[in-house]
Amino acid sequence: MLATIGLQHYLILSALIFSLGVLCMATKRNAIGILIGVELVLNSANINLVGFSKYQTGKGDGQIFAVFVILLAAAEAALAIAIFMNFYNNVRTIDVDRGDELRG
Amino acid sequence: MNHQFEICLALGVVVPLISFAILVFFGANPPFGKPRAAYLAFAAIATSCVLSSYVLINWYGLSVAERTELTENAFRYHWADFGNISIDVGVKLDSLTVIMYFMVTFIASCIHAFSIGYMSGHSDEVGGKCKYHRFFAYFGLFSFSMLGLVISSSLLFLFIFWELVGLCSYLLIGFYFHEKYASDAGMKAFITNRVGDFGFIVGLALVVLYTGTFDLDAAAASFAEQYHTGTGIFAESISLFGWHVSGMTLATLMGIGLFCGAMGKSAQFPLHVWLPDAMAGPTPVSALIHAATMVAAGVYLVARVFRLLTPDAQMFIAVIGCITLTITALIAIVQTDIKKILAYSTLSQLGYMVFGMGVGAWTAALFHLMTHAFFKAMLFLGSGQVIEGCHHEKNIMKMGGLSRKMPWTGRTFLVGVLAIAGFGIPWLHIGDIKFGLGGFFSKDEILAVAYERAFNMGGDGHGESHESGGTHGENEDHAAPVHGDGHAMANVAEGVQLASADTNASALLAAQSAMASSESGDAHHAEHGRADKMKIAGTLPSLPKWMFWLPIFIAYVTPFYMMRCYWLTFRGTPRDHHVHDHAHEIPWMWVPLVILAVGTLVCSYMLFRPMIADAGGVATHAAGIVAIDGEAHSWEDTSGQVMLTVTHGSGMDNPHNALALIVGFSWLIGMGLAWLIYRNGPALAGRIKDSVPGLALVHHALEQKLYFDHVYNYALVGGTKAFGKLMGAADGVLDFVVDAVAYLFRGIGVFAGRQLDMGVEKRDIGLVDNIANFLAWITYMTGTGLRRPQNGRIRTYVLLTAGAAGIALLFVLFWPHSSDAAEVLSATAQP
Repeated sequence: MLATIGLQHYLILSALIFSLGVLCMATKRNAIGILIGVELVLNSANINLVGFSKYQTGKGDGQIFAVFVILLAAAEAALAIAIFMNFYNNVRTIDVDRGDELRG
Repeated sequence: MNHQFEICLALGVVVPLISFAILVFFGANPPFGKPRAAYLAFAAIATSCVLSSYVLINWYGLSVAERTELTENAFRYHWADFGNISIDVGVKLDSLTVIMYFMVTFIASCIHAFSIGYMSGHSDEVGGKCKYHRFFAYFGLFSFSMLGLVISSSLLFLFIFWELVGLCSYLLIGFYFHEKYASDAGMKAFITNRVGDFGFIVGLALVVLYTGTFDLDAAAASFAEQYHTGTGIFAESISLFGWHVSGMTLATLMGIGLFCGAMGKSAQFPLHVWLPDAMAGPTPVSALIHAATMVAAGVYLVARVFRLLTPDAQMFIAVIGCITLTITALIAIVQTDIKKILAYSTLSQLGYMVFGMGVGAWTAALFHLMTHAFFKAMLFLGSGQVIEGCHHEKNIMKMGGLSRKMPWTGRTFLVGVLAIAGFGIPWLHIGDIKFGLGGFFSKDEILAVAYERAFNMGGDGHGESHESGGTHGENEDHAAPVHGDGHAMANVAEGVQLASADTNASALLAAQSAMASSESGDAHHAEHGRADKMKIAGTLPSLPKWMFWLPIFIAYVTPFYMMRCYWLTFRGTPRDHHVHDHAHEIPWMWVPLVILAVGTLVCSYMLFRPMIADAGGVATHAAGIVAIDGEAHSWEDTSGQVMLTVTHGSGMDNPHNALALIVGFSWLIGMGLAWLIYRNGPALAGRIKDSVPGLALVHHALEQKLYFDHVYNYALVGGTKAFGKLMGAADGVLDFVVDAVAYLFRGIGVFAGRQLDMGVEKRDIGLVDNIANFLAWITYMTGTGLRRPQNGRIRTYVLLTAGAAGIALLFVLFWPHSSDAAEVLSATAQP
């Protein structure tokens, strides 16, 4: 018997995607993989925003925030990829473990 | 209103300043450099001279009434307000300004021209430090300051320019600053002037305090009003150090204070010591600044503030002038340095001017200033020519016979000697033309006034006349003021003009009638004028007899020492063949001399009666300054007290037969005596000195300049040094205290250092070091610890961030009294 989909379902999905995103960022050595992890984390937050918007405030403000986040994520992805390009130009790889020249 | 005269005069002041500004910054290098810097300076002063000629010619083209109107309506720029005192900038436009301005620019132009040649041999010393252009830059600054002084309408600006000419004098005396005597002389001049200027400032402060204005005319008007009504300064009664000072005394002190400035600048006793030393400067400087213009500024100042002087202050001035002219003329007799002789003769002539001012011979003193400026500038340039031609030899004992080597210099020098000696022939005249050089007339005018003051003043009527003098509205009774002047009929003629222009001055009308009557020989009217004069005479204290006889005596001494100087330098046989063989006249440098000589000759002709009566020529008015502008008679106009009392008819014809007899041939006797003694060189003079008992002693005293320098050196310089030593000792005590405190704290520091900190070399770490090291250790450990996580791996950072977030979440969820967030979370969990 499937219960009605409530807020907690959104939150559980969001938590799962967030965890997967963090796990992705923590384990991948490929820069693109890390970027994908970041996108997952951002979108899990989006799901949260949309969920709260629907069940708590009842207005569209959360959804508008989600649209902003998508926008910023796009810009951030563009920046990140530009950084990767330069990184590749310098070290001929996009393995982020190679970029530890500034370690303490 | 037409302001063209003021604009021209102001422009003429600024042009030399521009020349100074250009030369002082860019004068050393091309496009200026050695000869061209001088051309620029000359062009500047020549421009001023042309402007002043334009003003002079047009000024005397106007009628007296028009001139008066221009003077009264002169432009004033409101500059600033100090409390109630408003300070205006403007040109004092009157005949004195115009004629003085012309005199300064004309003589300065001649001397600039002379300096072009002279300085080319006297600069570029000490590795080129005494730069040629620097000299001309200073000359420009001096011309600017001197002309500014002449045109200033306010005492404040007069004072500012006064100080500026003092500065220029200092700079130019010390032009050869690498020589100790020159820099010392500069400092001596500057410091001596400071003494006088202190009095000037005190006088200035009193003027402003009681009249509330710096403006010359307004101050004089206010002062006369105060005298008349017995208010202001005359109502003052103060007690100073237990000494009661009445208002009249205070007014006298004010006048003496102002005169102190003149004492410094015009080098009057006892501040005369700087002028002979000032000859350390280049000779053109001596000619321009220390003979013709700047030193005359003191006399000019007295002339300008004449209306602020009480009879007592005038008497003080006369005494100072009398002392100065006597002692300096005596010292001049024994000097052997050609420039020193001229310097002492300048002092003596300045003494005459100041004496003339003091006895009330306003016109005569200024006339003497003008004539003296011409011939003394010429004499100095002549001496410069001699010094240059003889390779810097200044001792006249080594000269002789130079007139063959430098004929033009000799001729012009002789003209100067005759002028200063007062060459002229009394009683001789062709029609109205009388024979004599400027010095003859100007000196006799001064002496004539002194004569009247000393002999023709009734002492008995003093009190009575004074009473009436102080009363308003009785001008008719005691009115016959006439401006000084024995032989100068200038004033007669001008007085007539003025009287017709100024109907208010009943006094002047009376004077006119007296003059006219004596002129026409009408016995009755002459008697009338005489009676009037006697009545007025009572208001002024009569002059002590010695103050008449001393200047008379010096009138015989002056030709003597000038002839001695001329003869030993230019005539006779050469005494030093080395000097004589090398002597030469520098081509073209005698041209300014000749121009000045012509000026000297013309100056005397200024007095010729027809020219004055016609009031047409430029020259005539030099003598008539006073009468035209009423500078000198305003006191009696406004206050009822008569300052100038002497009525002279037609010069030597009338009451001056006696004077002409006494002093008319002094030039002949003085010069003749000098010729008798010195015609064969100085040997005879030496024999006379040794043979007459006591004369050697006097000679020695005069050679030592009457010990003024010694006394000042011991009393003032020595006193200052002793005071300095005393202060030095006091300073030592203070130093001891300060040092003791410093030692104390140093001791405490060392002790504390020992206890707390053993220092590095002892290898024993103290408290301070331990604290510092501990702090450093903490910092180091913190840094090392924090360094670990910064390993540059993104995964580590992500894990750390996630871990931190997880911890934060746990904290939010399970902390007792948790935040709203936990409640919201739990609330949403169970909707």
